[in-house]
Amino acid sequence: MPATEATPAVTVENLTKVFKGQFGRKAFVAVRELSFTVQPGEVYGLIGPNGSGKSTTMKVILGLLAPNQGHTQIFGRDSSTVESRQDVGFLPENPYFYKHLTGLETLLFYGRLCGLGGAQLRDRAQEMLNLTGLENAAGRRVGGYSKGMLQRIGLAQALIHEPRLLVLDEPTAGVDPAGSRKIRDLIMAFKDRGITVLVTSHLLEQLQEVCDRIGIMAHGKMVSEGRLDELIAVENQTEIVLEDASPELLARIREMVDTESGKTKLLQMGNPRTTLERLFLKATEDSSDVS
Amino acid sequence: MTNRSQFPVPGSQFRAFSPARVWTLATATVTQLVRMKILVFLLVFSAIVVAAGFAFPVMNPEQQLKILKDVSFGALQMFAIVIAIVSTALLLPRDLEDRTLYTILSKPVPRFEYLIGKLLGVLLLIGGGLIVMDAVLSAVLWLRQNMVLAEAIHALEHENSATPENIAAQTAAVAKQGLTWGLHAATLAIFLKSAVVATLALMISCFASSTLFTIVITLCLTIFGHGQQMFRDYFFHGSMSAFGEKIASSLLAIICPDLGLFDIVENIINGIPATMPDLLNMTGMCLVYVVGYMVVAHLLFVEKEL
Repeated sequence: MPATEATPAVTVENLTKVFKGQFGRKAFVAVRELSFTVQPGEVYGLIGPNGSGKSTTMKVILGLLAPNQGHTQIFGRDSSTVESRQDVGFLPENPYFYKHLTGLETLLFYGRLCGLGGAQLRDRAQEMLNLTGLENAAGRRVGGYSKGMLQRIGLAQALIHEPRLLVLDEPTAGVDPAGSRKIRDLIMAFKDRGITVLVTSHLLEQLQEVCDRIGIMAHGKMVSEGRLDELIAVENQTEIVLEDASPELLARIREMVDTESGKTKLLQMGNPRTTLERLFLKATEDSSDVS
Repeated sequence: MTNRSQFPVPGSQFRAFSPARVWTLATATVTQLVRMKILVFLLVFSAIVVAAGFAFPVMNPEQQLKILKDVSFGALQMFAIVIAIVSTALLLPRDLEDRTLYTILSKPVPRFEYLIGKLLGVLLLIGGGLIVMDAVLSAVLWLRQNMVLAEAIHALEHENSATPENIAAQTAAVAKQGLTWGLHAATLAIFLKSAVVATLALMISCFASSTLFTIVITLCLTIFGHGQQMFRDYFFHGSMSAFGEKIASSLLAIICPDLGLFDIVENIINGIPATMPDLLNMTGMCLVYVVGYMVVAHLLFVEKEL
């Protein structure tokens, strides 16, 4: 099927994946009758608890596993074909690369597999190192990289051939909050450039910041799906955030609500809390400024 | 970030088979194995050759040279077979355990190219190692050959029997045990045998559950493969018709490679040269085994759930 603008970046239709039981053990249904689409340019978050079938779904999309039922497509191409992988960059969970290669050699290796070469590949590899903040570690062997650096070199290799679709499996797993923030910023940058992102995580707060749409999986099934703002909005509540409000003003607001007839109730008033993550980032930034 | 338009349009240039991708995988495999310091064996080999070359000065010249060749070719075979089994057995399971395989196969890389690239990498390493070792052996043998000949002539002169006939006979005897082109044919035979063993290990690793399993099974088949002729003679000969024996032997040779086909080293060391038909036959059999095992490896690997 020829890909057009209207063709979804990812199509998953009625997907079922069963792992055969070995030595008399029962077969395990990892994914059952799953269907969803990811539109070009959007960031789609697939969330769910461990063992809910997220990674299996991604592996089927990437052609690493064969479905027992249903099919998956990438930009209209059957994802079991090798050709479909030209459009995809993949970052697996907790990635490891050839420890004996340096960061730069790793990118050159993956670039060559994608058909790049010569000065174009060298420029592209350097650009990816700069983008992921690894330019100073380019000559070091990957075996000596920290967890966060491995995630970032993983992201760089996924992007080396300028794919239209990025598949990220738990991209911030094991990464410190600063590294995690950097990865989220990168995902936002990809979105701005029109790259479609399919990302899985069970860290919901992180996905909330970057995703356009969310699919929630449990026990191999899609239990809820939709636009993030629609899914998380509390329809019958309204939030007003004021800055430098005087106690008198707050008292008047409270009074107005109290005198309002009907069902209106003031549920909460007070100083909003920052998140622990924001506090951590601010504290570590401040300390680095001092040092 | 750069503008997307400067890169090739995705999907426009995909080729079902790309020698460049295979070469990329092969060279990465060679780099991986070299940086695992697997070639330290070359230094050990050089030390063995030098030691064997100068360790037995009391023997007669022919014996000295024969021992040098025996020991060196033993080490050469050991290097080739051990590297073929161990390094090949390590490659695929390690890529799977480290999830490196996911990042490689999620690129536009067909699975058969991955297998060919890995095998080619191992063969390049073994081939390169054998060339270096062959060169070291040739140099030491040539040096030792000239030394023992000079000593032999000196001894003849000392005994006042250095007639032209005696010198010619001594020169011929030393030359027979010295450096000949046949020795390089022996190195080629070792390479062909290790290519078969490496492909066998790769095929087994496609369905094996662990590296240890691959190493043990390949080692068993390699040992059995060397004694296959003996097995056939003992169990088949006389117990069935000629046709039945041929069928049974063929089936056995499919299950386990007949590595005795490549055992020409002993003959060459003893001064019996390998003929061109022998070498062509060995090369042909090697190709049959390598292609056959690779086809089976592909059929197993293409269905493998990663």
